[in-house]
Order: sequence, then C-alpha cells, then structure tokens
Amino acid sequence: MKENNPDEIIEKPSAEIAIRDKSRSSAATRSYVVLPLIFLAVTLLGGLRLSANDDSFVFLKPALVCLVFASATIVLFFRSRLIALDGWFSDGFSNLQMSANVAVAITLFTATTQLFNSLLPEHGLTFWVVGFCFFWTLWNNLFAEFDVRKLLRSLAAMFVLAFVVKYLLLANLTISTTGNWLQRLLENPAQESIAWLLDLPRYSSGTGYIQFFTLILYLIGLYLTPPMHKMRA
Amino acid sequence: MNERYIHVLCIAIVGIGLAVIAFLYSTEPRSFAEVATKSQVVLGTYEIDRAQFEKGVADFRAERFADARAAFSLADPERRDAATQFYIAYSFYRQGWGRLSNDDALFSAGLEIANRVIALDPNFRSTDDNLQIKTANELKTEFEEGLKITTDDFNPLKLTRERK
Repeated sequence: MKENNPDEIIEKPSAEIAIRDKSRSSAATRSYVVLPLIFLAVTLLGGLRLSANDDSFVFLKPALVCLVFASATIVLFFRSRLIALDGWFSDGFSNLQMSANVAVAITLFTATTQLFNSLLPEHGLTFWVVGFCFFWTLWNNLFAEFDVRKLLRSLAAMFVLAFVVKYLLLANLTISTTGNWLQRLLENPAQESIAWLLDLPRYSSGTGYIQFFTLILYLIGLYLTPPMHKMRA
Repeated sequence: MNERYIHVLCIAIVGIGLAVIAFLYSTEPRSFAEVATKSQVVLGTYEIDRAQFEKGVADFRAERFADARAAFSLADPERRDAATQFYIAYSFYRQGWGRLSNDDALFSAGLEIANRVIALDPNFRSTDDNLQIKTANELKTEFEEGLKITTDDFNPLKLTRERK
C-alpha cells in the first residue's frame, strides 16, 4: 500500500484553492466586466439606424412602451429565477459588490429597453401590431410557470420572430430609395402603396446587420447572466 | 485579479459607458466626425476653423454670399460661435436686401440666425469696421422691418435708401 507523503497532503488543498480562486476570478470577470460590456454595446446599438440617403447615423430614443416592456421582461427574469433577487441584492454582500450588482442590473435593463427599441417598428400601424404582440406574449408569460431554459427559449423565439418581421419582411417593402415617389409608384405600385399605408421609415440596409448583431449580443448576454450562487461573495 | 478591483472596474465601465451612450443619444451625431466635434463642445474645447472663417469673410466681402455661408457653416459646424453666426445672418440680409422689395425667404432665414446670435451672446458686438450694423439686435430689427408690409413700403423716397 502506498504511503501518503505529508508534503503532498499539504500541497493538494493549496492547489485546489488556487484552482478555485482562478475559477472564481474568471467568473467574476465574466459577470462584472464582460457582461456589462455586452449589455452596454446592446444599449448603444439598439437605437442606432443608418439613414437611407447617406448612411449617416440616426439615434432613436426608445419609446415609453419600450420601458414598460423592459420592466415586464425584468420581472419575468426574477420570476423564472434567471436573476435571483436574493442572489444579486442581499445584505450579505459588501457595499462595493452590491453597487457592482446594481450596475450590472442597470445595464441589463437598458439593454432590454434598447432591444425592444430595436425590434419595434418606429411608428404607424406596424408599431401597434408588433407592440401588441409583445404585450400579449409578456402578459401571458407573467402568469405562466417558467424555468430559466423555457424562458430563454421563449424570449429568443419572440425576439427572433420580431427581427424577421421588421428587418426582413417590412424592410423589403421599403428597400427602394432610388428615383422620386412618382417613378417608384409607377415601377412598383404594390410596394410603394404598402410602404405608404403602413408608414414605414426607410433606412439603409446596414441597419439590419447592426440590429442582427445587437440581438445576438443580447442573447449571448442573457446566456452569460449568472445565477445567484455565482454572484455571492 | 482581486475581486474588489473587478467590482470597481465594473462600476467604472458602467458609469462611463452609460455617460457616453447618454451623450450620443442626446446630441445625435450623424457621423464619427460629428462625434468628435460634439465631444469638443461638451469638453469646452470647441473652436471654429479659422481658415474657413477667413475664407467666409473674404467671400462675404466679395458678395459671394452662398459661398460665404458654406464656408461659415464649415467653420462653425456646431453653430455656437456668435461672430460666425452674425456673418451668416448678415449675408442673408445683404443678399436678400432689395431697393424695391426684400426677399422674404432670405430675410426669414436671416431672422432665425439673428435670434440664434442673440441667444448665444446677447451683448455681441461685431468688430468688423466694414459692417454698418454692429449688433444682432439691430440686424434683427432690419429683418423684422423688411418682412413687414407697411405704408412706408410705398414711399417713393424709399428708392434712395442704401443697403447697410
């Protein structure tokens, strides 16, 4: 039978502690550095459009309804324990860690608001139709029993569908920007009529690419959002 | 890295990030160049482009008013310099002035700029000796009088008046 070397017995726990510290440090970096950077990027890009005329920046502030939807979504996060209230905000944390947690939560809220700003059509009939669909989905979800996986799947499906409607379906109805309105009406009467009826704004095609990456970033951010035990001091 | 430092870094990233985003959404720059200009305004280091300003003054004196306005606009893209804006307003006055009647569109545009000069610096006084109108308030009065239709407009002696 092999005898244990006393030096090894002492070294083993210290090695384990080192590994645990490293893992803890990398989790902290992910939660407190990478995650807010992702959500800040979403916050920045969510309201950004490119003008159809000269590709210049157009910064759109979120409508009030985006804040309402974002608040409902955050409540959903709490209900499904994607964010455990006592895991993020607890008396057991130091003031510094609590402040950092609040800062990350703020970026999550602003990113969610801007994501709705990105996915909701800017105005007109489509704004109300898509807005109602968001409202209906969130309202139903508020009273359903959810776990984290189901919630993430449900939100991802809702956001992807909204993206497809706005940036593939509706954007294709307004893609023509050459010539005057009469010329466009003669060349493509159905498209011009729908664009006029639905009051769809014209943006450069680059807008769709930016918003695609915004949506992907947000979903990655949600995936990286830590459960409560990883936030504990 | 010590967790305390990571928390401090997190708070700094979020604070700075949100400030930058709030700045961008409130100022709404249309290009990266405008981001730089608007940042200068916020930091208080904004200055007009002197070369464009001098070109604008030269065009203004040569009565190339549209060129002058283009140069002044390039010199002061943020429209925050009272002297440059005063020249723009004055160019509208000189271009729009007529012995029989004034150009209402140009006078209206000039009136708007004159109001902007007053808002920027209510006590502004031009140091250019070639200009007869020295203050934005005087210029504003000229525009307002020019836009009104009064019995004085039908006075034949009006034909003898001179542009300022």
